[in-house]
Amino acid sequence: MKNSRKKFTPWLYNLPAFILIGIIVLFPILYTGYISFTNMNLYHWQDYTFVGADNYVRALGKLNSDFFSALWTTIGWTAANMILDVGLAYILAVGLNAEGLRARRIYKTLIIFPWAMPAYVSILAWRVGMYNTEFGLLNKILVALGFEKADFLSKNVPAFLSCMVLNLWMSLPYMIVMFDGALQSIDRSMYESAILDGAGAWQKNWYITIPSLRKVMAPVVIMTTFTTFKQFDIVYLLTMQKGSVSGSTMQTIITYAHQNAFVSNNYGLSSAVSIVIFVIIIAFSMWTNRAAKET
Amino acid sequence: MRKNIRTGLSLLLAGAMTATMLTGCGQSMADDAGAATATADNTADIAEETTQQTEDSTKEQNSETQASGEAVTITAWHDNDEAMMNALADVVNERLASENITLRFEKKADVTGQIRLYGTDAANGPDMYLFAHDSLGGFAEMGILEPVGNLISADKEKDLLPMTLEAASYKDEQYLMPVYYETLLFMYNKDLWEGDIPSTTEELYEYMVEHTDANSGTYALVNQHSNSYNVAPFINGFGGYIIDKDANPGLNLQETKDAISYNKKFAELQADGDYNTVTALFSEGKAAAIIGGPWLVSGIKEAGIDLGIKSLCDFTLPNGEVMTPYSGVQCLGVLKYAAENKKEAITRVLEVLAEPEAGITLAKEFNCAPANTKAYEDADVAANEMILAMEKSAEKAVPMSNIPEMGVMWGPAESLLAAVNKSGEDVDTAADKYQEEALQAIADMH
Repeated sequence: MKNSRKKFTPWLYNLPAFILIGIIVLFPILYTGYISFTNMNLYHWQDYTFVGADNYVRALGKLNSDFFSALWTTIGWTAANMILDVGLAYILAVGLNAEGLRARRIYKTLIIFPWAMPAYVSILAWRVGMYNTEFGLLNKILVALGFEKADFLSKNVPAFLSCMVLNLWMSLPYMIVMFDGALQSIDRSMYESAILDGAGAWQKNWYITIPSLRKVMAPVVIMTTFTTFKQFDIVYLLTMQKGSVSGSTMQTIITYAHQNAFVSNNYGLSSAVSIVIFVIIIAFSMWTNRAAKET
Repeated sequence: MRKNIRTGLSLLLAGAMTATMLTGCGQSMADDAGAATATADNTADIAEETTQQTEDSTKEQNSETQASGEAVTITAWHDNDEAMMNALADVVNERLASENITLRFEKKADVTGQIRLYGTDAANGPDMYLFAHDSLGGFAEMGILEPVGNLISADKEKDLLPMTLEAASYKDEQYLMPVYYETLLFMYNKDLWEGDIPSTTEELYEYMVEHTDANSGTYALVNQHSNSYNVAPFINGFGGYIIDKDANPGLNLQETKDAISYNKKFAELQADGDYNTVTALFSEGKAAAIIGGPWLVSGIKEAGIDLGIKSLCDFTLPNGEVMTPYSGVQCLGVLKYAAENKKEAITRVLEVLAEPEAGITLAKEFNCAPANTKAYEDADVAANEMILAMEKSAEKAVPMSNIPEMGVMWGPAESLLAAVNKSGEDVDTAADKYQEEALQAIADMH
């Protein structure tokens, strides 16, 4: 009796959380799954019926060359951003912890600013304040140096790079703060021993700092990899926003899904596309988790 | 003992938390489920029952208030200038004060999205909405709108411009009540423009070449050159179209491609064509003219610009036709449940809005072109330069298509224009590509 109560009690304690998660997370997924098997669209708004796997056949038909092009772009986007994000954050965090650096608290406060700004505001501020052909800082500099104005967002490669710079600007503070916290946790005596053994700055970094950071930073890197993989706001608002389409045809899988499913008001089809993308992201998640465990 | 107390307390707290959470969700869950039940027959029975009860009580309440002559409030959603909507509400409320009917406008972002979400939700949705007519087909197909013809007699609408009534109708049924209309205009800064306004687009282009210096940031004319609404005057003038009445996209029609190619040479002298960029250039006096609509006027006046107006139909294209903009008619739509619950009050509101007074108020204070022809007999309205230009445009302007497929055409059309104007893609290749995309988007609707 006592044993069964012991088993039951933890579940009871967690019940409110389970109910909350069920309502917020599980219900939308299940409801989307349900809608994906119906013909709910503008023409069957109130009288929709079960259509079996029709929407999935159509959703899989969208996994064409354009989808794979978007998938490769997404992988390239994620890889490039993560390499630069982790690399730059590490260098800056180490710099912020350098001995003798004055006013480091001010730098640390300033560096968090881009992360604290709402993403929508940051993106639009960059679109107008940095990349705009008439009012953007970059074009002001180009013209001042005697060059022609450039449209940074009209073609795929410059648009990719522009989106990446903004993504780094927005994500670096978080990574730097995490690295900074992890750096604080490294035992100082290891560096002192290394100095006594004649180690230089490079050796201290390579043999002490990086190995010590690996386990602490792994969850942060995995989470940021996800955020970067499913990035939508930056690419959409810089290059695809209705009324401000820039001319670049760069697509990530999320913008591809949005363009191919959500503009049509066909909720059955868009739900099926969402579920397919959801499965792809889950597979990606499992793969990165396994990769993280192996390292 | 102490452990038992702790366990008991924890259980009590956990139970209270769960109960509080569910209680807190109770109303909104029922309401949310209500929205779903209204659109789906298969959603949970309990939620459906709750919704039904809510709807029934709303109905009862309304019929009671109407029957006894008590106050009825009609709520209308919009995403316009609030001062303008309040002025419109004042006209109605003054007239209907004795009947205890009040019209209240509420501003909402993404009105069409909100109507889609709440269009069957009597408890949380509005009674009416005010928006451009191009979203009509989608709402009519969803079955959420009450045809205005069922609420107001044709006699009351006899003074409305035929063009606005055409825009308010879908599949031979008038669903909407036209209030005012808009078209694009040629707006210029009288202090900056040198000489007369040209009468042909070729002369206009020559003027632009002579008076534009992109590197110093000064322009003769700016336009949202990659926005299909703003390029429509060229496309329509060349005999092309974005979509026809049978839902066939016309992006790769020769006439459309000719128009896009012709627009491109203007686009090269019009900055990046982004809405914020072009309006800022004009307001800051860096562009002498802009192609825009009456919605720009308040900002332009605030900037202290001496504004001149010309109808786009006054410009002749190389093919001898005139530039032919789209017209957008701002209309009121009535939700079905509201027509059932508040029919008399809504009818009275529509009747007042169909009269010239509402149009005159909007024209005098906000430069809107009234849908009611009688409003133009007012001396101030007749002397308003902007309204005259729009009235002239209305004779030629093409009402935006209001079929549901129009909703998915803006994206491919804008992408095509951006590909040609901004990325330098070949017109033929890009037109074929985006025609395919448009066809796919239309197929995806079903």
